Amino acid sequence: MPGRDAWAGLAVLAASLVLFGFTFELKDNPLVPVGPGFYPRIVLGITALLAAAVVAAGFLTRRRRPAAAERGIRYGLVAATFAVFGLYVGALPYLGFRVATFAYIAATNAVLDPPRGARDWLRAAALALVATAVIYFAFERYLAVLLPRGRWIGF
Amino acid sequence: MYELLFAGLANVVQVKYLLPLALGTLVGVVGGALPGVTITMTIIVVLPFTFGLDPLQGLAAMTGVYVGGSAGGLVTAVLLGIPGTPSAIATTFDGHPMARNGEPGRALWIGIWASFFGGLLGGIFLIGATGPLARIALEFGPWEFFSLFVLALSMVAGLVEASLLKGLLSGMLGLIVTVMGVDPVLGRERLTLGIPFLAGGVEFLPVLIGVFAFAQIMTEVERMGGAAPLADAIDRAANLAVSHLKVIWEIVSRPLILLWVAFVGVLIGVLPAIGGSAASMMAYDQAKKFSRHPERFGTGTPEGIIASEASNNANVGGSLVTIMAFGIPGDAVTAVMLGALTIHGIQSGPLFISQNTQLAYGMFAAYLLAHPIMVLILALGSRWMLRVTTVPKAALFPVVLVLCVVGAYALNNTMANVYVLLVFGLLGYAMVKTGFPLAPFILGVILGDQIELNLVRSIMTDANPWLFITRPISGGLLFASVASVAFALWQHRRQQAKLSAREGDADF
Repeated sequence: MPGRDAWAGLAVLAASLVLFGFTFELKDNPLVPVGPGFYPRIVLGITALLAAAVVAAGFLTRRRRPAAAERGIRYGLVAATFAVFGLYVGALPYLGFRVATFAYIAATNAVLDPPRGARDWLRAAALALVATAVIYFAFERYLAVLLPRGRWIGF
Repeated sequence: MYELLFAGLANVVQVKYLLPLALGTLVGVVGGALPGVTITMTIIVVLPFTFGLDPLQGLAAMTGVYVGGSAGGLVTAVLLGIPGTPSAIATTFDGHPMARNGEPGRALWIGIWASFFGGLLGGIFLIGATGPLARIALEFGPWEFFSLFVLALSMVAGLVEASLLKGLLSGMLGLIVTVMGVDPVLGRERLTLGIPFLAGGVEFLPVLIGVFAFAQIMTEVERMGGAAPLADAIDRAANLAVSHLKVIWEIVSRPLILLWVAFVGVLIGVLPAIGGSAASMMAYDQAKKFSRHPERFGTGTPEGIIASEASNNANVGGSLVTIMAFGIPGDAVTAVMLGALTIHGIQSGPLFISQNTQLAYGMFAAYLLAHPIMVLILALGSRWMLRVTTVPKAALFPVVLVLCVVGAYALNNTMANVYVLLVFGLLGYAMVKTGFPLAPFILGVILGDQIELNLVRSIMTDANPWLFITRPISGGLLFASVASVAFALWQHRRQQAKLSAREGDADF
């Protein structure tokens, strides 16, 4: 069974070969000696070769048992944190910065440190409110950075 | 040069520059003191705040973060035994034992003053070497620039701790990011896969923010929930008062160590993408080798603290030289500073110092002034820094990620950069989990356009490919590039052989 290195190498190899194939769709210009596909072909070719070497090394190297540091890692928490962030990014254009950020900070805080009662929920909400307000006013009012408005709510 | 430097100092002491510099240094010291928050993450957080400032205000704030962060890590390293930043790891070896032996104030202040002197020595190199190096680089043609960038990339790929193959592949992945978007010669769209936001190419700042912020935050999230062991902490009410003259004498009475470790720090800083942690570890090792009492290292000897702290602050000066003279970031922090320059429409590289003299000398002045400000901040707030370390990460991380989103969005007020941030955040975490080093990837993203542009320029000037080798500087740089890969290969092989030998011994 190949290890992580081999799988990562395979993914890079596949991606670089697909992109390498696409470079042949790029048309050269007779007035210019170097076409748009010239440099990408060099980069993608070398990448494919290196990725193939990583795959080979991954298959040849003896697979080690996971180190102690690898055990007990909370991948579920990482996935949840990424998921909440993905939802936030997806919701930003529709809910706008203020609403989406308030919900995001409160939700991530609750995911990372689950509230154990009404007081904890209140604390998470207060943190979200204060952080959103400070960031919003700092950027919109003082640094002239216009933050996204919500398409759905216009706020 | 001196008139320009004095003019720069006179400029930066104005409130409009001094305030961002002092605030940046304060944020840097706090960020540096927080275990789990690196200087890179701190500067990423500060970046969006600089968009609305003028270039020198923004760069002064960032220089302050860099200098403050490099010193801030020592507070927790000495008093809690937990390095605030990776560059303070070596400080714990002697700083914490000295503090536990009843001299927390002495340990802390040896570190602070060593950072001060190391930083100023790095500053002498920064101010003295940037101009001459930039003048050398001005003689370069596209062949030399191409070879220089290839050398930088191959050196980083070889110097990372992961396997050489993964380092090289990581650099190539960075280059792939830059070929997506627009062809620099004809301006045609290429390899965008029909994704609309790739049509204009990928900006490097959202990539950098995504990769570094997520790689770090998610690796912290993985281990959240465990109790932080602070049992070895020094009593928070301990007396930190010392005689400053005595402490300063302890440092300056060891001029050879101070000069040598500062030199090591500067040298490591000049090499692309190797940060203060490598500088401080190497300087600590050197100080131990040259010491008449190497057995005292690790028990609370002042030389150990001086070596670590002076070198990691001198490293800052070295890193700034490469960005200002060649446009090559010395590490992730200077990569963000490079991004900030780009946002303000300023091109770093050999022409930077001649075209933006006032800004360049303003940066030198900000760098020099950041050191006394850092000492002042630590004098007033080192005890308060210990309280900062108790900020819960569950509250800190979402706020940092929101600031990353604001930083990416504010680049040109489009959501496209936020999507890039998310995609590269996932990629950065995946790279960490599969053991692919991030530094070559980021350097590939930063240098990719320049590598292509100089390659195409050289071919369009003269199609003879041998010119890359026959032109002496270009040939020398390419030879150094091959030599650095060969050296890395030899070093990795040697390490592997040592590991196998150890495993073999264990079998018996």
